[in-house]
Amino acid sequence: MADAGGWRPPRPCEAYRAEWTLCRSAGHLLHHYYVHGERPACEQWRRDLASCREWEERRSAEAQRSLCESERARVQATQKHALVWTLRQSPPADWHLPLPQEEKDQ
Amino acid sequence: MAGAAGAPQQQQQQQQQQQRVACQVFPERRAQGGSGQGLLSSVFSNDQGCQRLLLKTLETNPYVKLLLDAMKHSGCAVNKERHFSCEDCNGNVSGGFDASTSQIVLCQNNIRNQAHMNRVVTHELVHAFDHCRAHVNWFTDVRHLACSEVRAANLSGDCSLVNEIFRLHFGLKRHHQTCVRDRAILSILAVRNISKEVAQKAVDEVFESCFNDQEPFGRIPHNKTYARYAHRDFQNRDRYYSNI
Repeated sequence: MADAGGWRPPRPCEAYRAEWTLCRSAGHLLHHYYVHGERPACEQWRRDLASCREWEERRSAEAQRSLCESERARVQATQKHALVWTLRQSPPADWHLPLPQEEKDQ
Repeated sequence: MAGAAGAPQQQQQQQQQQQRVACQVFPERRAQGGSGQGLLSSVFSNDQGCQRLLLKTLETNPYVKLLLDAMKHSGCAVNKERHFSCEDCNGNVSGGFDASTSQIVLCQNNIRNQAHMNRVVTHELVHAFDHCRAHVNWFTDVRHLACSEVRAANLSGDCSLVNEIFRLHFGLKRHHQTCVRDRAILSILAVRNISKEVAQKAVDEVFESCFNDQEPFGRIPHNKTYARYAHRDFQNRDRYYSNI
């Protein structure tokens, strides 16, 4: 987490509002049920929006803590499963090379 | 792939078998020694239509714009002329990613309209993205192939409710996951000469991990709104990670 002096919410408050609105929409209910077989949970977006606004208005340390905790939990949820493959340190060497056909033409 | 860890001779035989299967998918590609088309065939081909649809996809589709951005960030900037090829294909395959040439093949005789082009390009760019960011053993590990196919089916819109209904596959509760499994298996069988059971086993083994690996979207993009939100998050990632 960055120092309190330079910290700001990880997302603009409008982004939290947009996610909360999307989460509560009928379309999202349908999509979520289609994928997971249950209703979506939208309460955390509402809490994050409230924290974001509170930090904007009052620079509340509690709001900062709450937002960081919430977003770290989201990141951890995406890292639950081990990857099937090894990540690269650099892109494939031949990505930008000309096609073999082009080399023959040259 | 089953048996790939055997003697080098066996492995070489299997690799030749895999390349032969790839030939069956794109025979014209191999026969002409590459992606080029003869002068006469290009006059009567759907190449211009394919190129037009492709250009519109690259310029306007939010799924594709995010993938292009993510690939550029990973060091694999995409060049339309170098990394895409419109060709005629056998069967009803819509496209493919050729890892040996780092090229996406679009089957111009099978891509029906703009929406279909959007989906095919998204699907193949997921493969290209995986190739760019990870050591994917496309030809020697069917689990790696299965993983990329699960991701592509999951993130490209292949398995949207609407598309499944058009295929007359009716299901609602958790049907998306069933579709992703089934389409991943079909895609594997289209490019590998293995049994359905082997393909199914590979998909089952990797499903949990690969279904939940939703990079670079960070979510399943059910429609363009989700894709735009995902792109917004991607563009915001520096601020995000430095403030949590």
